[in-house]
Amino acid sequence: MYRVTFVDADGQARELTANEGQSVMSVAVANGIDQILAECGGSCACGTCHCYVDETWTERLPAPDDSEQGMIECLMSPTERSRLSCQLKMTAALDGLVVHLPREQY
Amino acid sequence: MASATPKASVSGTAFEPLSTAFAQNPYPAYAALREKGEPQFFPDFGMWLVTRFDDVAGIARDNSMVRSPEFFMSHEEIEAEKRAQNWHDMPHHSRFVQFSMLDSDGEVHDRLRKQVFREFTPAFIARQRGMIQSFVDKLVDGLIDKGEIDFVEDLAAQVPGHIIGRVLGVPDEDCPQLRVWSENVVKFFDIDRNDERKATAEKATTEFYHYLQKLMAERRAAPQDDLITRLIAAQDAGHLNEDELVSTCMLILMAGHGSTIDVLGSGMHALLRFPDQMERLRQDPGLIHTTIQEMFRFESPLPFFHRYSTADCVVGGKAFPRGTKFGLLYGAANRDPTAFGDDAGSFDVGRNPNRHLAFGGGAHFCLGNHLARLDMEVIFTTLIKRLKSISLDEAEPQYKPGLSVRGPKALRLTLAPA
Ligand code: HEM
Ligand code: FES
Repeated sequence: MYRVTFVDADGQARELTANEGQSVMSVAVANGIDQILAECGGSCACGTCHCYVDETWTERLPAPDDSEQGMIECLMSPTERSRLSCQLKMTAALDGLVVHLPREQY
Repeated sequence: MASATPKASVSGTAFEPLSTAFAQNPYPAYAALREKGEPQFFPDFGMWLVTRFDDVAGIARDNSMVRSPEFFMSHEEIEAEKRAQNWHDMPHHSRFVQFSMLDSDGEVHDRLRKQVFREFTPAFIARQRGMIQSFVDKLVDGLIDKGEIDFVEDLAAQVPGHIIGRVLGVPDEDCPQLRVWSENVVKFFDIDRNDERKATAEKATTEFYHYLQKLMAERRAAPQDDLITRLIAAQDAGHLNEDELVSTCMLILMAGHGSTIDVLGSGMHALLRFPDQMERLRQDPGLIHTTIQEMFRFESPLPFFHRYSTADCVVGGKAFPRGTKFGLLYGAANRDPTAFGDDAGSFDVGRNPNRHLAFGGGAHFCLGNHLARLDMEVIFTTLIKRLKSISLDEAEPQYKPGLSVRGPKALRLTLAPA
């Protein structure tokens, strides 16, 4: 079990547990984090699982692939820390990950 | 070969998707299917109907479930299947409609979707807001003068086709013709297929194709800031061929046309059927986003799509072999109490979260969902602001028959300006 923390737009933090290989999106959805809409269910086809990775983590994550990068460029308010949470899979290296949630997905 | 009128008894439950009773209220039949637990076989279409939320969502999001049978059928088998479904001998229809982004999977699907995806993302779509607002304002001006209207024909049907047309780059004056072609092509998808509709669909596809050929030639000669010009550039760059380009334009023009008209109609009808919810929205216009989300859930306008399994699988506790055809009833899943609670059958403009399946899920998740939502947001916000009251002039509006679409045929209203 790994830990992942979601911080909402008002600064409220929730720490949750994740299994090996589970996506950050599915941790959010399973625990009622409503800001992660995840309308396509993790197919990298909707862009509604957008989150901002905490600064302390940006360097430590695997880079987005082409389809994730293409999607991120089309989001409402992307920054350099933007990621699609459905494409972030939990591993030992990501234990303790902190992500910030946008106020709205669109 | 015309297909017989489907009338199926699903394991004892009368499930008659072409009946008037079903058109007026399909939800009791959907509930009966859900309560069976396992998927139920629908012999007329040779498919298993899936109605529970978890099962429908699971299949839609599963990459081993595909829309095109080519992953497990030979070319000959596919041709035989087309004959059985009366889909054959339609050269243009099979070239541009039966083949599409929606009906491809894997690498081809990803490549086609990538060519247009950007244009339909929230940031791009938001740029259309001003255009949609001024278009709707003008329409509403005329309707307020009229007082008594058919909401479906006089308002709903006037908007989505024009907006998609503008995104694509179709001149305004051609949009009414596109609507006729779209309707004639789409009608053939429903379960009551016959030879007359087949001929009409093929003729419409052919005319549509010739129209797009002419438009493409114009854009080649004089490029514009529109989707069709960008698709031509993508073709020149080798990302898609001309048939794929034509097919993609047709899909975009058709996929969101009737469906948006239908949900505008059923959404308005829902607000009128539940005046307390209309009042809630009037008191708090900030509820518009959850209201629209609820309209899609409550009366999902495209309630029925299919998938084939490419591997042995278990659905609803029952084992199925590779090559099984499933009918996903999004409209039934969206009323499932296990997903939406005991009030799944009520219309709640504040419902949140509301993770419905009206736009599908997975790789084929609706490309145009933000455009459809924006059309609806502008229309309902404008009406609520500009009208003191809206009243329904008929006891029971008639809904379109069939399994593939859901929406009122007409909605007679009286409008009183604010
Ligand atoms: C009321 C509005 C709409 C509804 C309910 C709706 C619903 C859907 C659904 C359920 C699917 C997935 C089909 C499946 O699961 O097999 C889909 C796909 C699609 N929709 Fe929509 N749609 C709407 C509006 C639009 C609009 C306005 C467009 C215009 C661009 C559009 C374009 C598409 C396209 C291109 C696909 C295929 C995507 C793919 O295969 O990757 N839709 N739509
Ligand atoms: S869930 Fe749709 S892109 Fe991540």
